[in-house]
Amino acid sequence: MAEEFNTEGMLDVYLFENEQLLERLQEIVLEQKDADCFDEDSINEIFRTMHTIKGSSGIMMFDNITVVSHRLEDVFYYLRESHPENVPHLELVEHVLEVSDFITAEMDKIRDGNAADGDSTEILAGLDKFLELIKNGGEEKNSKNIPENVHEEPKQFYIAPVATSASRFYKIHVGFYPETEMVNVHAYKVVYALKEIAEDLLYFPEDIIADESAAESILKDGFRILLQAQCEEEKVRELIGVGYDIEKVDVYQCEANEFLQGFDFGNNNTQIDLISSVAEIESKTQEPSEEGNAENKEPVKPAMQPGDFVIKSKEPGKAKKLAKDKAKGGEKASFISVNVNKMDMLMDLIGELVISQSVVLQNPDLKVPGLNLANFNKAAAQMVKISTDLQNIIMSMRMMPLTNTFQKMNRIVFDVSRKLGKDIEFEMVGENTEVDKNIIEHISDPLMHLVRNAVDHGIETNEEREKSRKREKAKVTLSAKTEAGKVWISVEDNGKGLDREKILAKARKQGLLDEGKPEAAYTDKEVFQFITKAGFSTNEQITEYSGRGVGMDVVVQNIQAIGGTLDIESTAGEGSIMSLKIPLTLAIIDGIVMKTGDSSFVIETGVVKEFFSVTEDMMIHEPDGDEYVMIRGECFPVLRLGAWYGLKNCKSDVEDGMMLIIEMDGKKICLFVDELVGKQEIVVKPIPAYIKKVRGLSGCTQLGDGSIALILDPGGLVE
Amino acid sequence: MDAINEVKNPVELSDGAADERDTQKGKYMTFKSGDEYFGLKIQYVNEIIGFQTITAVPETEDYIKGLINLRGKIIPVIDVRLRFNQDPFEYNDRTCIIVVNVKSTVVGLIVEKIAEVVEIQEENILPPPSLGRVDKIQSKYVYGIGKTGDSVKLLLNPEKLLNDDDISAIEQANEMNADEEREA
Repeated sequence: MAEEFNTEGMLDVYLFENEQLLERLQEIVLEQKDADCFDEDSINEIFRTMHTIKGSSGIMMFDNITVVSHRLEDVFYYLRESHPENVPHLELVEHVLEVSDFITAEMDKIRDGNAADGDSTEILAGLDKFLELIKNGGEEKNSKNIPENVHEEPKQFYIAPVATSASRFYKIHVGFYPETEMVNVHAYKVVYALKEIAEDLLYFPEDIIADESAAESILKDGFRILLQAQCEEEKVRELIGVGYDIEKVDVYQCEANEFLQGFDFGNNNTQIDLISSVAEIESKTQEPSEEGNAENKEPVKPAMQPGDFVIKSKEPGKAKKLAKDKAKGGEKASFISVNVNKMDMLMDLIGELVISQSVVLQNPDLKVPGLNLANFNKAAAQMVKISTDLQNIIMSMRMMPLTNTFQKMNRIVFDVSRKLGKDIEFEMVGENTEVDKNIIEHISDPLMHLVRNAVDHGIETNEEREKSRKREKAKVTLSAKTEAGKVWISVEDNGKGLDREKILAKARKQGLLDEGKPEAAYTDKEVFQFITKAGFSTNEQITEYSGRGVGMDVVVQNIQAIGGTLDIESTAGEGSIMSLKIPLTLAIIDGIVMKTGDSSFVIETGVVKEFFSVTEDMMIHEPDGDEYVMIRGECFPVLRLGAWYGLKNCKSDVEDGMMLIIEMDGKKICLFVDELVGKQEIVVKPIPAYIKKVRGLSGCTQLGDGSIALILDPGGLVE
Repeated sequence: MDAINEVKNPVELSDGAADERDTQKGKYMTFKSGDEYFGLKIQYVNEIIGFQTITAVPETEDYIKGLINLRGKIIPVIDVRLRFNQDPFEYNDRTCIIVVNVKSTVVGLIVEKIAEVVEIQEENILPPPSLGRVDKIQSKYVYGIGKTGDSVKLLLNPEKLLNDDDISAIEQANEMNADEEREA
């Protein structure tokens, strides 16, 4: 009966939709933050967004979200209808962002299964004040003509009846405290509670969720309910409850025929009769006009009887509204969300398809001399083309544009620069660059650090800029591009740049400098690398945003974790550029395939410095079995992969095999393997959890012939 | 849903999902390992595949033979004979791998010889004897002895077969992963 109130599945949809709406909202707001005011479309869109959030939150009964979004909606309603002038735009932007943050935080709580209990009073007060302000500011021109926020005609609202002889009939009148916020939502809660027991339920005003005027009417006249249920008066009272919002509940039991007359608008006399009996506390003078009004609105409608309708609730209509709003907001391409597992499965299958394709095309049966394969080869070529396309598509499906991440940075620049009183322009270049979803998740934090640093440390205060006669506006540029299979993301500022001397002094103090090396011998690059060391911050004052010396080393660690690097360029007085070089995807790595014994191994190409074959006289054997190899006067420890893992059939003579120098975290070792197979792109898969973690292995992969190779973890090997 | 199924008459049920459970009930996949025949409840069995190249994973227990590539999915395989501490046997192209799914852990079992699918009624299943050689080696994995005709099958508990230690190792690994995620 009350399926639409089963919030399980709805909650997901609610969170997902609102998240998208908020994202879109931030985007709009930030796009226009530098303008003098929002344009018509944006105001409409923000208004709609807030309205939608308010509506859906009301249904889900997250009161504080409803209230906050309602208030912001009011503000934008005013903006839309009255076009006030002298609106402090930046303040408005801040208010919108504040509300969006608040709702996001509440939604996070909801997602974690907690109650959305954030305190919204401050935001509400701020919005009230702001609305007051713009109302006064725009008074000269538009003091009147603010139309009421009128909504669609009210409709009757019934719940399906199952009348039995045991049923009792109640007339209920609920009075709310006059200062109650969003009284219609509270009324809705009452209805929701009663639905549990109701066989039939009729209430007035009907359209309590979407109709703004309903709230006023409820406050003024109280909320009237006709209830048919099989339970005691006590139970009804208990369900309605007298909370902080409900002032008074009156429950009267009545006769079936009286009940069936319902809020029969076709019969005015009965109507007034009924109301007066239900609501004794109300002033009678208001009743007829109120009900007469309602009657006028629906003159053609036939008299409705409780029991004539099976669920005619507002919710389906609401859902449509959501969909409509979203369609309007989305000039973007349409999307569906797909379970990642399905994507992975698809990727596995396509990989398999490619392998079985090569099994077919290189089948030994085809090598029989004298076969005419012209047609076969033609068909085969077509097939290869299609499967290559398939592979490319599936890879591109995992890719997402950096737009959202960049938008977040925009927000940070806005916040920080406002707080610090710096006048900063923010530019984004190439935000449509696509990167694997995993990577995006990993670079968001480091990027945030870099952007904060640029705004806080990099850019001078307005006065300093004045002093150093910098004409151009302070600017932070965030750019992204793909090049050579890597993504380059750089954060550039035209601030004061890094101070070489200061960094050197600090490095000296922390004992980071090499004793034997004169300071002048350090290249700029080397010097700048010092700031990525833990606990290194040249900012004398710790600000809210940076300067605790934990920023850069964390950035570098996070970037290294996904196989990226950080490059720092800087010119004193002109600014600095921090560039991140990151692989496009984590799922595919460029690896060197090698063989030891019967097993194949893969190691990431990036860590391999050199391959070479050695002769016995280059080897140094220690009595305890450790081996070293001498190359160009440098001595490296040797790790025999076969012996380390106890593999069979592997070569023991160093002259037969191959040495690889691998470098990780500044440590270099020599890896001895039987033979090198080649370099190829491999799809990384985890080793099944059933097998316990093996030291030095980070995953496995399928090679072109379908066999499995183990991926070596250079970190584990070097250790 | 269950209530609804109960109300339905049996004829309707015969082509529903409940039917699958019904036909699988009491059926066992039997295979030979050493001198004994073993049975595994059929609902654990995903499929049976021919022998394929196994990639050894170093530093694991002997009975874990390594990884195989099952249509793009990489799964571990274990040798049942070694698991029962029986002597190893030579694999040939007649050797089969039974792919089982136990609590969403997919593992391949290398068995000497696949026998047949038999139906063993509940009343023909006896608890394992508490004495004797069988008990020492296998009762850890055997939860019952099923009689079919004049032969006897040892019915395996697949969770124990993958080893309780192993399962706990998986759990530990999962916990560790969860910890790492939390730290991250």
